[in-house]
Amino acid sequence: MAVVDAPTSRTGDRAPGFGRPSMGFIFWLSVTWILLVVLAAALADVVPLRDPDALGVRTGEIERFETPGKNAWFGGDGQGRDLFAQVIHGARPAMVLSAAVTSIGGSLGVLVGVVAGYFRGRTDSVIMGVAEIMFAFPAIILLFAVSAVWGMTMAILIPAMAILAVPGYARIVRGVTIALAERDFVDAARAMGASRSRVVIKELLPLVALPAIAFGFLGFGLVIATEGALAFLGLGLEQRTWGSLIAGGQGLIREAPHLALIPATAMFLTIMAFNYVGDGIRELIDPRPIVVGRKRKADGHDPAISAASDALLSIRDLTTSFPTAGGTVTAVDGVSLDVRTGRSVGIVGESGSGKTMLLRSITGAFPVLGVQRTGRVVVDGTDLLTASPAQRSTMLGTEIGIVSQNPLTALNPVRTVGSQLIEVMRVHREISKAAARARAIESLAQVGIPQPDQRVDMYPHQLSGGMRQRVTIALALANEPRLLLADEPTTALDVTIQDQILRLLSALCEQRDMALVLVTHDLQVVRGWTDDVAVMYGGQIVEAGPTAAVFDDPQHQYTQALLASTPRLDLRPHSRLAAIEGQPPSLVAPPPGCRFAARCTIADDRCRAEDPMPVQIRDREFRCWYPGTGKVT
Amino acid sequence: MSAVARLTVRLVVVALAVSFASFSLLSAAPGDPAAAKAGFSATPERVAEIRSELGLDDPFLVRYGDWLAGVVQGNFGTSVLNQQPASKLIGDAMPHTVELMILAQIIALGVAIPAGVYSAQRPNGWFDRLAGAVSFGMLATPPFVLGIYLAFVFAVRLDWLPAVATDLPGLLEDPVENLRQMILPALTLASGMVAIYVRLLRTDLIETLQQDFVLMAQSRGYSRRRVLWRHAFRPSAFSLLTATGLTTAGLLGGALIAETLFAVPGVGRLAVTAIFTEDYDVVMGVVLLLSVAFVVTNFVVDALYTVLDPRVRHGSR
Repeated sequence: MAVVDAPTSRTGDRAPGFGRPSMGFIFWLSVTWILLVVLAAALADVVPLRDPDALGVRTGEIERFETPGKNAWFGGDGQGRDLFAQVIHGARPAMVLSAAVTSIGGSLGVLVGVVAGYFRGRTDSVIMGVAEIMFAFPAIILLFAVSAVWGMTMAILIPAMAILAVPGYARIVRGVTIALAERDFVDAARAMGASRSRVVIKELLPLVALPAIAFGFLGFGLVIATEGALAFLGLGLEQRTWGSLIAGGQGLIREAPHLALIPATAMFLTIMAFNYVGDGIRELIDPRPIVVGRKRKADGHDPAISAASDALLSIRDLTTSFPTAGGTVTAVDGVSLDVRTGRSVGIVGESGSGKTMLLRSITGAFPVLGVQRTGRVVVDGTDLLTASPAQRSTMLGTEIGIVSQNPLTALNPVRTVGSQLIEVMRVHREISKAAARARAIESLAQVGIPQPDQRVDMYPHQLSGGMRQRVTIALALANEPRLLLADEPTTALDVTIQDQILRLLSALCEQRDMALVLVTHDLQVVRGWTDDVAVMYGGQIVEAGPTAAVFDDPQHQYTQALLASTPRLDLRPHSRLAAIEGQPPSLVAPPPGCRFAARCTIADDRCRAEDPMPVQIRDREFRCWYPGTGKVT
Repeated sequence: MSAVARLTVRLVVVALAVSFASFSLLSAAPGDPAAAKAGFSATPERVAEIRSELGLDDPFLVRYGDWLAGVVQGNFGTSVLNQQPASKLIGDAMPHTVELMILAQIIALGVAIPAGVYSAQRPNGWFDRLAGAVSFGMLATPPFVLGIYLAFVFAVRLDWLPAVATDLPGLLEDPVENLRQMILPALTLASGMVAIYVRLLRTDLIETLQQDFVLMAQSRGYSRRRVLWRHAFRPSAFSLLTATGLTTAGLLGGALIAETLFAVPGVGRLAVTAIFTEDYDVVMGVVLLLSVAFVVTNFVVDALYTVLDPRVRHGSR
């Protein structure tokens, strides 16, 4: 085993979270468009337009169905009326209606939502129940019926649509309120004697306002669209609206397409603008940056592929980094590690030391996007970082088996145990379905699952945690790999089951001459079940060697601290445990010098300034300026 | 209670509530069905005669009860327009609307599933951004506006497809001509759903792709495609499925527009005409049908859940 020098390469810090620009050019373009439409609605009577009702056939100014051009920008309709003037005038009812519906419906909805979310309980279920029913029935049909019965004036349309808008706002605001009400400051205000309604008004409403306004913009667009739809069905407002213009032009789509297309486009752009602004505001509140980076191929062919090493798994200078909002995290930093056939190696460290990422870097399956790996991960002579996809896939499927941390999440919940076992066999080798099934049952028996012929048809949720872990082991072993990677295979399990699983893993490794890499934070597990150990800290291996030797005589100060912090059964009860003070180092900007220096009891200026050179003494390695018991002067 | 019994109870409750509400609404309407039936030249005596024939002088609850009793016996009343039974009018129009809705769902899912899956694989990649922008546009486009654009481009400019479906043959009689006429209304209906579906699937799939069992599948050397479709897709499809059920209700509203725009002789257009002509038996029949369809669709979605998610099947989620 070797612990190697400082990281070979480090990707430059990427700008955090490059989601879509929410307040960019299009946002302001949308705002401008909205302002223009509002101005048109307000000033239609003031600006020098043609009279929208003046018949061009009489005045001679505009011909019938005149096409858009210099004379009439938007052309003329069947009677030669000026379409531009009509569109400008048509903006007003839409704006008035939307503004009224959005403000009335919106404030009612906010109120209802806050009440439901704050008081919860029966109030909430009644309100949300009613809202649910209102959602269920298509609004357009209700409005259609209302307008058919009572006619279509602003006085009817505004309240009808406002009522229909309430559930939408209520649902959003309720969600926000519930989240807020659980936070401390509301409790604090209550504790200081503020009455319930006071808390609602003074503390919650201001916070709820922004999401409601964002939704209001979306709702504004929806009202315009709904009025248009009603007008289109022949039940629009009495006034001239975009909807009625579209409805009027629709039948003439062949003869004079501009009559329908121009008002339709005006409406489309307006709704789009309102939606975009609403979305922009919403993103202000709820930024969800998805961290992404471009996958880059690890730069390739290194001729110096470890000919010297006879190891089954040989990791050289492996560095794994990925971008986050806070900067590039280098989770594995220049790690080298060899695992020989038949040996078991424990990788131990605190959470966040990079041990799980090290294991994932071998298989290349990460839960985050944009992970970059450099260095080499050679399994049986093939570098997994530079191998072709087909080669890589075969290596992963047949040479490497992996057992995950949490058996409850490691199995596909919607497929039977058997189908998952059969799949892994049939993907990687020629085997009939029946034979694979027989093998699946056999392998379940091998990992100690009773009644395997019945269990094979069960779904993961029908099995206990321990059983599920046995299934993942069976899956890992299905193609008889030579290297088994296990990431804390017992952490999620009951103590009594833990021992069984470890015993099983160990026995299987021995029977099949498999190499095992066992990641764990449990020193007792390492001590009991591994031949060699590598201690990780801050993304690096700080000490490695035969397990017994490292435990008996730890060299690195961190290893010593780690051993000292573990409760031991041979100590007297209530003897004081030494916990390691402080926090692990940042993996975004690790400190210069020894990574453990900040928490080390004997660190000096040298430790803080210079990264310790790795020292190799026979089969042991460590990187510490003051190994062993401390300073030797 | 068995599933079928639950469905029946739900059906009855919803149908009663919805029909009662619409019946009250229509009773409050200012129009006079008797006058409509009697025609323009009828004398007031003749109108009064028809009124009592139709039972319009009875109290509201009695009339509702009569209507309900009729429905239970399969009698949905008679159209005042052409004296045909309402059930026949609705029955004739129904297949077109069902076809339209199914076609729209097929188009929507057919577009949204690949688009959502592809987007989720590379969040913020070029395809994802494009799909996001297009979905955004689709959500902002009212169906009748889109329908007009589609009619203009495909029927007027390119002249590939008819702009109206007035002489619509049955799907089985002349499938090619039928689909030619139905494709534009179906597209109109589908567009809003595509946007919703893409967003839902994308979000859920991004989450699933980070889950342990997907990472494990990757570590077993499975191809991207296998991981995506055989492991990640099904657990990510539940929201999509719910949405498919919910949008079916919205589709009924959309069908009103699409059928009117393209003159499809379906239930939506029938309802619009019926409301304008105060043909209330037909309106009531359609409303009842819609509520039943809504309940049944959601029931089917629930049933599909059980097929897709074994955790629901075994009642341990």
